[in-house]
Amino acid sequence: MKINLLKRLAMLAALAIPGITPGVAMAANNVALSSDVFVERKIENADGQTAVMLEEPKTVIPGDNLVFVVKYKNVGSTPATDFSVTNPLPKAVAFNGTSDGTEIVSVDGGKNWGPLSALTYTRANGEVRPALMSDVTHIKWKFNRSLSVGSEGKLVFRGTVK
Amino acid sequence: MNYVGKACLTGCLQPVGAIVKRGAMTLAATLSVMTLGTVGMSAANAAGTIAGTDILNTAQASYDGPGGPVVIDSNTVTITVDELLDVTVASADPGDIAVDSGATQQVTTYQVTNTGNGNEAFTLTADTAKGGDDFDTSNAVIYLDTDDNGVFDPGVDTIYSPGSNDPVLAPDASVNVFILSDIPVSATDGQRAEVELSAVAITGSGTPGTSFAGQGDGGGDAVVGSTGADGEASSFFLIQAAQVALAKSATVTDQFGGNQPVPGATITYQLVATITGSGSLTNLNITDDIPTDTTYTAESITLEGANLTDSDADADAGSFDGSEIAVSLGTVPGGQTRTITFQVTID
Repeated sequence: MKINLLKRLAMLAALAIPGITPGVAMAANNVALSSDVFVERKIENADGQTAVMLEEPKTVIPGDNLVFVVKYKNVGSTPATDFSVTNPLPKAVAFNGTSDGTEIVSVDGGKNWGPLSALTYTRANGEVRPALMSDVTHIKWKFNRSLSVGSEGKLVFRGTVK
Repeated sequence: MNYVGKACLTGCLQPVGAIVKRGAMTLAATLSVMTLGTVGMSAANAAGTIAGTDILNTAQASYDGPGGPVVIDSNTVTITVDELLDVTVASADPGDIAVDSGATQQVTTYQVTNTGNGNEAFTLTADTAKGGDDFDTSNAVIYLDTDDNGVFDPGVDTIYSPGSNDPVLAPDASVNVFILSDIPVSATDGQRAEVELSAVAITGSGTPGTSFAGQGDGGGDAVVGSTGADGEASSFFLIQAAQVALAKSATVTDQFGGNQPVPGATITYQLVATITGSGSLTNLNITDDIPTDTTYTAESITLEGANLTDSDADADAGSFDGSEIAVSLGTVPGGQTRTITFQVTID
């Protein structure tokens, strides 16, 4: 299932990178950024096995598993230093992890950042407990090196419709 | 002369086979607190994101460009949350409801909850003909708990009519539903009857995942959830009847130390009430006329070996009114006996 999914993502990425339209990247900027959201749909094959397909949905239902793909590319003529990508999580989505685990997250609307295991969550009654995936409000990737001209990549994270 | 008098039971409208009137109404009344509590807790949205909600996703990148720090947004992806069609039905009756054979309009109580994420109307159906039980009730009528108090109130709660007042429930909201049905006269002690209520989402039901394009609350599709958008639950009636049999015997003691029924001899009458069945008899009173040509021996009534007074004004169970003795036994469950004695002398 996972292999299948990754393959799909690879295919989508291959298809989609040329598709980053100049319209997405504003003229003044030299980095293009695009967001795509896919939903996992389970499809039963003729042989009875269940395959997971990724679709670009117009609509979803609570419980659906979503795959968020953020693609970036330096389309300018100078390196972009101190490059980072942030994705605020839509309210109706519960965070379900990233594919590479290199992200840092926030559970308080972007005030404090860190690996999930290093964060705590303060409940309405003041009680403090270790932060959970379901507490995540923002996801951020910080790049330690500058994004050289022409370099590109994609960041993938998963979420579940609440 | 025959001194074995005629024992009778009075004061109880249906002395033989009289039934405990522990109806569903009483049971429902004790339940109402729980039911109200459940209805009140609708703040948490267990059903998930409300149908029609848009999920908007935009990523953001920041970097230092030639002209200083730059922040850019990605395109925004918009996805609408469809309506999930789900419903659960639960019986609000804590156990079997004790009823009498022949009783009419006996109440079973259910709670229908919209566990989906959109406003949805539900069709309700009563099924009294379930297999696996001992008898079927008849004349089933469904009522909606109009005043939402968990108790069937005649004249207040409205009759449900499919297609005209199908209950529309918000996500996580519940409605109490009553089925009133009649217990057949032929049902006998210990028999059970199942009464099922089912609720089906009007937009559609069936295999989970089935989609109804464009019919969802909030403008999206409606998708059948894990419940199949079809819920049902059953309550049970149990016939709990009780009957009483009365046995009377007499012992004669004459004033000469013998057992001859001569004038002046004392007759001790013993009445044994034997209650049988799985139910109880309520307000069970036993009376016995003093036979002619005898005189009641004052203060001679006993119940289970304990003396009772003749006065009707005091708290004890016995009394003598000049012509008959009476003992009020109150509620007596099946399987028990009560023994009463009293004495007379032959005139």
